[in-house]
Formats: sequence, structure tokens, C-alpha cells
Amino acid sequence: MAPPKGGYAPSLGKFLDTLKSRPVNASVESLISLLKRRQINGSEACAIATAHILLQVVAKDKWSDVNELLGRIQLVGKKLVASQPRELVIANIVRRVLGLIRDEASEDRNDNPSDSSPDHRDPMNSPLPPAASEASSPTRPVRPPGALAQLGSFARTQSMFNLLSDPDFTSPPWSNASTPGATPGIASGASTPLAHGQTTDVHAFRSEVIDGIEEIMDEIKQVDEQVQAISEIIIHPGDYILVHQPSRTVQKFLTRAASKRKFTVFLVVDPSTTSAADDAYAPFRKSMASSGSIVVTVMNVGLMAYMSKANKVILGARAITAKGGVIVDAGAAAIARAARAQGRAVVILGGVYKISSENKFQQEELIEWGDPSKYVNFADGAMVSQVKVKSAVSEFIPGGDIDTYITNLGAHTRDHLHTILTDHYKEEDMSFDIYGKGQR
Amino acid sequence: MSQNKRGGAASKGKNSGRATGEEKREDVLQAVVIADAFQTRFMPFAVEKPRCLLPLANTPLIEYTLEFLAMNGVQEVYIYCGAHHEQIERYVHDSRWSPISRSCPFSTVEFIRVADARSIGDFLRDLDKRSLIDGDFILVHGDLVANLSLDAPLAAHRARREANRDSCMTMILREAGEDEHNTKAKVVTPVFVVDPRKKRCLHYEEMNPFQSEHYVGLDPSILEDPEVEARTDLVDAEIDICTPDILALWSESFDYELPRANFLHGVLKDWELNGKMIHTEIVSEGYSARADNLRMYDAITRDILSGWTYPFTPDCNLLKGQTYQLRDDHVYQEEDVIVENSSEISDAVLGRDTQVGSNTTISNSVIGRNCKIGSNVRITDSFIWNDVSIDDGATVEHAVVADMATIGKDATVSEGSLVSFGVQIDDKTQFNTSTFRDAEDDDAETDDLSRLQKSLVYSLEEFDIDGSSVSTLADEDYLSDDDSAASLTPIHPASRSRLSSFASDDSGAPNFPSFHADAVHGLLEVLRGVSGSFDSEKLEFMSLRLANNASDAAMRRAVATAFVRRSVDLMNAEQGGLEPAKAAKQALTSRKGATEFVADVGVGGDSVVEQVEFALAVQRACVSSAKVIEITKAGNLLAAVLQQMYDLDILEEEGIVAWWGDDRGKEGKEGDAMATVRDKCQALVEWLENAEEESEDDE
Repeated sequence: MAPPKGGYAPSLGKFLDTLKSRPVNASVESLISLLKRRQINGSEACAIATAHILLQVVAKDKWSDVNELLGRIQLVGKKLVASQPRELVIANIVRRVLGLIRDEASEDRNDNPSDSSPDHRDPMNSPLPPAASEASSPTRPVRPPGALAQLGSFARTQSMFNLLSDPDFTSPPWSNASTPGATPGIASGASTPLAHGQTTDVHAFRSEVIDGIEEIMDEIKQVDEQVQAISEIIIHPGDYILVHQPSRTVQKFLTRAASKRKFTVFLVVDPSTTSAADDAYAPFRKSMASSGSIVVTVMNVGLMAYMSKANKVILGARAITAKGGVIVDAGAAAIARAARAQGRAVVILGGVYKISSENKFQQEELIEWGDPSKYVNFADGAMVSQVKVKSAVSEFIPGGDIDTYITNLGAHTRDHLHTILTDHYKEEDMSFDIYGKGQR
Repeated sequence: MSQNKRGGAASKGKNSGRATGEEKREDVLQAVVIADAFQTRFMPFAVEKPRCLLPLANTPLIEYTLEFLAMNGVQEVYIYCGAHHEQIERYVHDSRWSPISRSCPFSTVEFIRVADARSIGDFLRDLDKRSLIDGDFILVHGDLVANLSLDAPLAAHRARREANRDSCMTMILREAGEDEHNTKAKVVTPVFVVDPRKKRCLHYEEMNPFQSEHYVGLDPSILEDPEVEARTDLVDAEIDICTPDILALWSESFDYELPRANFLHGVLKDWELNGKMIHTEIVSEGYSARADNLRMYDAITRDILSGWTYPFTPDCNLLKGQTYQLRDDHVYQEEDVIVENSSEISDAVLGRDTQVGSNTTISNSVIGRNCKIGSNVRITDSFIWNDVSIDDGATVEHAVVADMATIGKDATVSEGSLVSFGVQIDDKTQFNTSTFRDAEDDDAETDDLSRLQKSLVYSLEEFDIDGSSVSTLADEDYLSDDDSAASLTPIHPASRSRLSSFASDDSGAPNFPSFHADAVHGLLEVLRGVSGSFDSEKLEFMSLRLANNASDAAMRRAVATAFVRRSVDLMNAEQGGLEPAKAAKQALTSRKGATEFVADVGVGGDSVVEQVEFALAVQRACVSSAKVIEITKAGNLLAAVLQQMYDLDILEEEGIVAWWGDDRGKEGKEGDAMATVRDKCQALVEWLENAEEESEDDE
């Protein structure tokens, strides 16, 4: 009897393993129930799962033209979003893929009049490759990382301008610089003579979209690396940094900074989860200590006493809304508010894929409520029956409490977020009502 | 034995599973779902719908069970259905769990129907024959709500199994504290005696408030363990990780019916014989409970509303098409719900297309889909299923209202009421507490315990818990009596608190049940010839009586019970069961001194009153014996015993005739049974009366 590694319970890894062998619809349904059961949990896992499933839809489903594909992605996207509406990254990834498809489609159409498309793209692409090699990113330059962020966003600002000026997306070919898939190598595949309008060479188109989605996946995976490159700018020697139950992104960010400078970290943990938390943060503590920085563990209750000492508060985001509000792990909102009251800087870390165009939400709707066992023991019969205990899994920080957002593109202010949004999502996808009543 | 759906998709999935070779095969986790409990606790609803399809927070119970299995990576599911199997099969077939549908996470979903099954034991014995199970499997019931992860218990189970082939089962139990807890079983308290270090379960017993003794008897060898815990603080959702050995054990013991009270108790008791070990995995995180009676249904719904079952809360929309969202005030609401502004709703679930009128208050309740609720209605702590209409001004308090029911204007459905499918309640009707409302009339249920388990509200008030007037489940006391409580000081209901304590009971109250049990036991030993003679027994009996300060009535009852039981033993003996007449004769005469004993101790005097009392005691004992033998046989036995006693001069004819005329014998609490048994004696009495007249004539 050989039990499968890591038990029987399904997880993201197991789900991804079964993707190839199963029909797309079955995979979609299985992902939906995994999301509902919260067995795929956390924004990064959700984003990766969504990207994978959409890749399967593009690769395996039968579709003959772009509109059909768009419709299909929208349908699957709606189902996924409905199964876990509070995980905004799912909708983000769906919108990214929709935008990607539109870009590819428009590019194909524009390829027709000018068959020398590679030449056209050259002026736009030339500054980027060196950046890629610098960042030693394995694939093409998805997003210029680190210090080059300024240049990158400048480039995108231009492209956005073009997008806006030309809403019928008959934009000049270099506009697709914003789409990761549009690289010279792939685009040359599109030089196969195309028929007219919509009926493109489906095969080539498909592989372009697939490449595009794969680059989105790479982007998600590289977020930690790219974000931590900025750490030296944010953290100074001798700083006192306060973090709340640091995610992997935040931990890497701090370790990277610690490799260069010495500073003190106040590690805020929830008293109810201490036993587990000690294990979880042990490697982090160790690596911080080895580089000479100090980690002070603070229980949530004693937090306010340390706030006056801290210079900066660094929090990992679950999602970032268009207006700058951030969804964080439960407990962080109070910290952000305290930091604001004391005038400390609040820094939010998170990949670009976490920025959501959605802003119609009531903030209550974004909060996920978990089971109260964190605060009340189920064995306490009197409490269970007499007291209503609400335990939040996630919390919402209003945009006003936040000073800086750090993404894989660099540091941004709240006003700048809108630019990033328009760079990454198409207007028509942003207005697409992904949360609306789906089919029942 | 009929079997359904073993062709088609199900067996195809199976074959392909087998074909992929042994290695892969071993990774498959199997589960068996028992979708019939052979109980009537969900009456009247269970008349029309099986328990596992009843909605809990607007989602059928079986959804939670299957979701739990899917969550733990189960691949093959076998569902045993009993009553309403066609409904369950249709439901699963039409749902996302159907093996044909793409969304089914299981490779196999198979229904097994056992035609002549009368208990869960029959299901498991059937499973043993089928050889479907080829490794460890999970045994659950169709009314389970749980969000536990089984990975760790499964790994621990495997490790134990590798260390010792005889550890054959792991039970998953949830700690729930020693204090009062809603989700703990209230009526029957399971007692687990566990070795905390080895996690081995050593003894299992169930206690209930009607029990005569509030003790758990432990085998002395249990106490040889260095550390033993006896725990009543556990929620037992009956999630078991079993090995195929378990099925073999079920087959060996053909009379086991219940997985806990019979099987677990028995296997642990016979540990020396079978050598099988059963372990427990006591978890303190996660949720698990069975909605196995209405009160648990109530408790689990509350737990779901307060999020204990996360992620299985209404807003996770388990079922396809559900669109619940959490609103303010802890209200889970689906789309297209119309609520008038002036109405107040808190802590509730509202299904789609439900309309709520103005000035209505709904709190702590679950309302299904497409319900029409008028204005000025008050609904508290209640469960309203689908398509119910509640008219203006009605009040529903702590009740269950099933599909399609109608509650008229200004009607009041008060605490504990159960309104079944399609029932219409007229305007301004008032219902008292705990009313059962059913479209078809429910047959009267008399057993207190099952009645308690069927009610929504746990209350012992209406029950007479004095230990003497209540029949108990324990085998030893099946001949309980119905002596009027006046002759015995009732044990105060407060003594129920002893239920969960194991300290010796040194309260001053005389313990009649224990006198009865000991006395009957002692007499039976002598009657069977196992030990002693009646001379010594008489001494012992009297000392026992003095020690317990037992009344004459209690003594009579004990003697009568013992002799009737001996007769029943003889009648039911495996080889050559005797006729009632012979059995009675043998019981009364085979042992030297028996006759005198009955005359002296049992009757205790020559007066007619005492003879009547004793005859009544015998009659009651016979009525009780009707539980093990047919009622007509019990009647015959009574006639035979009386006749024999007359012949032996224990009873005189005046006594028997006076008994015949006594009202108490005609109708007792047992109702029909007393009369039926009594009727059989008519011939005897007539004969006696004739004999009397004849003798008078002679004079």
C-alpha cells in the first residue's frame, strides 16, 4: 500500500498534474470545486490555476475564430469567478488573457497590410532585450524588472496613449509591445499569409495565445524575484520594519535587503496561531539572523507599543483594487490604520497581476469570513452556542492608508495604479461584467 | 439481493481503474456511504424523503457528505441505500456527482441495494460478500457534515497497520469539551475508554437518561493499562477508516446491527478472542457531526451559520446554481430575494425568489427557495424549506416546516413543531409545543428514547424519569416492570447529571433498579442450577432486600420476573424448546425449594390481596416477556404459570379470581398487551369458577 505523496487530499500541485490527461470541461469543474472548497487558496495559487486552466481552454477547446474563443474564455472566467468571488486575481487573470487574445487578433489583422511586421516592431523592441538579459529572466522580457521599471512604464504609457486614441484597436503594430506574446520570434510565425479579417490561421494564433499565457505564468512566478530587487531602495540600514504574518513575497523582500544591510524586523504574529507560526517563520528568522539583522516577534496584542518605534510597515497584498484599496490577511488592516495614525509609511507588496480593475465592490463583499476556531475553541460549548463570533480571513485597507505600492514593475503611488491598469487590461474587458449573474 | 447500476458507466470506471495496473490501484481511496440509518427519527419528513436528501441550510445533507469525501481525495464511492433508494439514486444521478457528468471528482459512484437489509450490519455483511473493497476505506453515513482533513489520520492508520496487522479501524472523533454543547449527542452519550498514548479504544458504551444504572462497567483488564481515559466529551460523527478485516468481523457476528452500540462494543469486549485493535484519532480542529436526529439537525445548522463548517457555508454555494452572498447582519441571501424595507432579518439564510412582506421579523432561521412570507410574520429559530407560504401575522417558533406547506393567517406554530410536506394549517390555528403535523397519520410511537430522539427540542420534562417506569434498552433488564411509581420513591431527575460521571454513586437514595437487577440475577442463577440452593438463596435474597430497603412490591416483582424469565428461557431453549405448560412446571418444580420460595417470599402471605398482587406481578412480567416471545405465547405462559401455581397451592382460587376481577390487570400502561395476555387466562378462570361452583354444589 503506497499512499500518494502528501496524502490523498487534492491540491494545486495535484490539480496541475491531472490537467493534461483530462478533458477541459472536467478540469474546469474540478477547479471550481477546489476553489469552492478553498483547497486552492491564496492569490498566487489561484492565479496560477486560472492561467493554467485558460491555457487548456485555448489549447484544447474547439474554436474557429477569435470571438468564439473570447466568448469561451469569458464563460469559463465567469464560472471561476463565481466560485470564489473574493479572490480578485482570478478575474484579473481572465481579463489579462482576454486582452492578450484581442491583442493577438488585432496584430494578425494588422499584419495583413504590412507583411514585414518584424521590421515594424524593431524600434519598439530594441531597448528591451538588454533589460531582459540583465534581469536574467529565462524568457522574453515580460516586464522590465527592477531599476528599469521607469523605462518600462514609460513605454507602456506610450502604448496606453495609443490604445486610448484608437479604441477600435486598429492601432499601429507596435502597440502590442504591451502584450507579452508579441515577440519577434513568435510573430514571424504570423507571417504565413493570412486570409481576410477574422479567419486567421487558427493554429498559429492558438500557439501565440498559448505563449502569451505562458508568459503570464512566468510573470506570476517571477514576482517575488522582481519585487525583492527593489528592497534596497525601501529598506535602509538601521530601519525598524514592521511586518504582519509575512507572505513569501514579503519574507524574500526582507531577506534580500538583509543580505546588504542590517535592520530590525518586528514580526507580528497572531497569538492564536503561534504554535504553527513558529514553525512557519523559522527559516525566515534563521536567514535574517545569519545576515545580522534582528527579528523581534510581537504578539498582535502588544503591537501598538512597537508602532512608535517602527519606521515602515510592509504588508503583502492579496489583491489591490483600482482605487488603491488593498485586501490583506486578517489583522493587517488594524496595523495599517495604526501606522497611518502614527504617520509611519505603509508599503504594500504584490505583483501586477494582483491589481484589479474592479471598483464597484462594497468593501464588505471583499472580506472573506472563515471559521471562528481561531478565536474560540469549538469545545467551549457555551461560547459556541451563545456568542456570535465572526472571524475574518481577509481584510480591506482603504487606499488612503497606503503610501507606496511595490509591484514587479517598481514602486508606484496610488495615482499611478490606474496607468498600470490601462496598460494591462483592455477597456472592453474592464467593463465586462464578470461578476454579473451567470447562468445558474 | 437486487443490485442497481452496476453496468454502464460505473463498472466501466472500475475496469479502467483495474487496468492501469496494481501500483496505481493501491493509491485509490475508497469510501462507503451508508444512506439509510434504519431509524425513524426524522419522521414525519422521512416518510416522503430520505434523510440524506433533507435540506440542511438549503443544501441536501448528502452534498456535504460527498463534498467531504471529495475534499479528502476519495476516488471510489459506494452508496448503500435502503428506504427511498430510487429518490437518492435519481438525485445523485442528476447532480454533479453523477459518474457520467464531467464534474464528478470520483472515478466510481456506485449504488448498492440490499433487498432484505434491516440494519446497517446487513449492509456491511453484504459489502463483505461483494469483494469491492481491496484496501483501506472510509466508512461514513449519508448525513455527515464535516470539514476535517483525513490525511493525517490516514497516515497514522497506515503506520499502525504496518506495525501491527491487527489494528483494523480508526475512528475520527472530535473533542467538544465536557460542558454542555449543542453539537454533542444529547440523548445517548457515547463513552469511549481510550488509552491516550497508544490511542487505542479499549471499551465503548452508550448511556442514556432512561438507563436504570448510570454506570459503565469496565473489564478489570482495562485498568491494567498504565493510562486510561474515559471520555464523554467527544462528538462521534462515525467517520471510520476501516480495513477489509472489519467487514470480515461484521460477517462473523451476524447479529450486530449498529456500528457503535453493537459492533464496536462487541469487538472491543471480545478483544481477547478476536485480537483486533481499534484506534481513535481524537482531533481538536475541524468540524464533524452527523445530523442523525432533528436536534442535531438544528445544532448543525447553527454551526453552519456561525461558520464552523467553513468552507462549507452557504456563501460557498456548493450546489450548482446557488448564488448565496453574505449580507449585513449575517444574512446569507440568494439572488432575486425580495425583502420589504420595514422587515427585520438577522442571522438567516434566504433562498432564491423568496418574498418577505413588511414588518416581518426573521431571526436565526433558514428559509428555502420560493417561499412567500407575508407581513407582520415572526419567524424565529425555525427551518422553512422550499415553496412554503406563510400568511400575514403568523408566528413560527423553533419549528420545521417542510416543502409546500401553508400556514394560515395569524396561525401560531410553536416550539418543537414539525409541519410535514404539503400540510395546510388554517387561519388562527394554535399549536402547542412539540406537535407533529403530518399529511398521513403517523403511527403512535411509545418508546420514550426514540421519541426523545425524534423531537427537535431536547427536553426531558415530559418524560417520567424515575427509573422504574421506563423501559430500558439494556438486555439484562428487558423485563422491566410497571409498578406504580407510588410504591417506589422515584429517583429525582436531577440525578441525570450522573450520566457523565464515573464517580461511585454514594447518594443516599435507595437504588431500586439495582436491587431488581441483582435479585433477578441471583434467582436466575439458582433456577438454572448454576449455583447454590434455594435455602441459601432465600437468605441472600432477604439480605439483599434489607440492604436496599426494598418494598414488598419490589420483591414480588423480582420473584415473578425471575420465574417468568426462567420459563421463557426454557421455551426458547435452542434444542427442544418446551411448551408453555411444561416450561412453567419445570421452572417452578425442577429445583428443590423453588415452590416454597415462591410461596414464602413471592406471595408472602395467605391473604387474597397479596395473592392478587403477585398474580399481577406475574402478568406484568409476562407482558414484558412479549418483547422476546410472541404475545400469544406470553399469554399462554401466563395461563400455564397461574395454573401451575394453583396446582402447587401457591395461589388459591380466590386469589386468581380476584386477580381476574382486578382492574389493574385489564389495562395497564402497556395497553393492549396487558389485555391480550390476560385474555389467554379466560379458560383457566372459567375452569376455576366452575370448579368452585361444583365444590359448592357438593356441599
